[in-house]
Amino acid sequence: MSALLALFDWRAFAVFRRNALVYLRNWRTAFLPPAMEPVVYFVALGLGLRGFVGGVDVGGGQVVDYATYVAPGLIAYTAFTTPFYEALYSAYVRMFYQKTWDGILATQVELPHLVWGEVLWAAARGFMNASVVAVVLAIFAAFGTVDVHLAWLPALPLLGLWAGLCFGAFALIFTALVPAIDHMNYPVFLIGVPLSLASNTYFPVSSDVAALQVLIELNPVYQLAESCRGLLVRGAPDAHLWKLFATSGGLLVLLTPLAVALTRRRVLS
Amino acid sequence: MEPLLEARGLVKRYDGRAVVDGLDLRVEAGRVLGLLGPNGAGKTTTLRMLYGFARPDAGAIRVTGRDFRAERTPLKRLIGVCTQDDTLDYDFTVRQNLTVYASYFRPKVEGLGARVDGLLAQFGLARWADASPHALSGGYKRRLLIARSIVHRPKVLFLDEPTTGLDPAARVEVWELVAALREEGMGVVLTTHYMDEAERLSDELLVLREGRAVARGTTDAVLGDLLGEHVLVVRRGDPAREAVAAALAERGVTTSSVLGDLQAPVTAAQLAELDAALPDARLQVRPPNLDDLFLQLAEGSDA
Repeated sequence: MSALLALFDWRAFAVFRRNALVYLRNWRTAFLPPAMEPVVYFVALGLGLRGFVGGVDVGGGQVVDYATYVAPGLIAYTAFTTPFYEALYSAYVRMFYQKTWDGILATQVELPHLVWGEVLWAAARGFMNASVVAVVLAIFAAFGTVDVHLAWLPALPLLGLWAGLCFGAFALIFTALVPAIDHMNYPVFLIGVPLSLASNTYFPVSSDVAALQVLIELNPVYQLAESCRGLLVRGAPDAHLWKLFATSGGLLVLLTPLAVALTRRRVLS
Repeated sequence: MEPLLEARGLVKRYDGRAVVDGLDLRVEAGRVLGLLGPNGAGKTTTLRMLYGFARPDAGAIRVTGRDFRAERTPLKRLIGVCTQDDTLDYDFTVRQNLTVYASYFRPKVEGLGARVDGLLAQFGLARWADASPHALSGGYKRRLLIARSIVHRPKVLFLDEPTTGLDPAARVEVWELVAALREEGMGVVLTTHYMDEAERLSDELLVLREGRAVARGTTDAVLGDLLGEHVLVVRRGDPAREAVAAALAERGVTTSSVLGDLQAPVTAAQLAELDAALPDARLQVRPPNLDDLFLQLAEGSDA
């Protein structure tokens, strides 16, 4: 319980503030390139393939063109990959190479605060990048390239912020476990890529095998993508939104104490 | 006088083996305690327990008379830690290293701007205030680490091998800074592998071997307790070297070899016996120093 309550302590926000200050110093290089990646994907895949793919059924008999289908998924993709990679690579550099965490832990900040500070920061990065994608989508919508309910657009990065907490905590587990930065390929390609592909971002995913369908439903990236799609394309929240809150919240409560325990073993043993 | 830091019966076990075994220590205001011992003696583990990185399996730590376990957060406000590793934040300038580090403490540091300016001046860092720590030499990085560890005005400072890797001039500069902190009334716990550093900086030494205190007190007292009055030296190539070594072994005296020279701590009585037994040997004698102690402890640990 104390590992969870550390979220509300000033020390978690001191760690968050430290990362935010570094980001503000380097925002030109830290902000635009990562935020533009999903925009490039949208142009290349959404606009490039829509002539080949044709219409996609988004449920309720509603069929939309491929660019409109991909648009909300890319916000979800961004809200997943940004915190996941931030808590993998950037946190690992702070922990192992820069020994930033050793310095911080020599103060009043304790390990649960440090982990929460990193989780909060990872989610905030996801929120910022997802907001950029949302702005770009709004521009495309203004030109009629995609057909979406713009009124819901500001809500999507906020959903990404919520889910991003869970993604950041999840990634920190691997940060604490991998022996060297080269080994990050394992969580990236065995966990991150499958989760993002099985998320309805680029193509509809479903399975007749009940166990597989359960796994898909438990994937918070899937629930995030479908929640975004429900709001942006179908124009109303649906059951996926509540499933997103449940899966993300549940995983956050489970994964953060685990991340604290594994990081303690890695950093303080 | 109430000690700033006091530990009683500290025990730490790893894999069932006690690496610190029933250690007591105390540090008073304006005093420097030097922790000495060969590798594996338990110095770093002791330090990590004292500043909260490792939890003792037994024993108690008190800071300004208050229980560290019960009041960990407020008491961590009273201690400063300068680790052996370079933990500077290279994402920030020299000045920001101090200001951001101060943000990890509550209550907030009063008059932070003036405090930071004062430290930059005191530690000779003002001209690099807005530069990256990358611009600093090894000695100045160490200065910044020490300045950072006291930005919140702690009462007790832990210095873990503060001059390792520095050139002689930089070492002396760090010594002067530490001496100044002591003059300000700070209690300091110092670990070092440099015996001259321990001797110059420490008011009291605590000598560890295999997790236990084997001697404590002033340098002279520790040397007297552990080594006796004299150190016998027989040069490499001296024809009597092997005979002296055999005679010392018969008397149970631990010897060490430094570049081929035989060295052994001996009492006046043992010296007289050797002189009588080996009248033709050229025995050189000098006062013991902390290097002899270190070698003695290392020999004992290896045995």
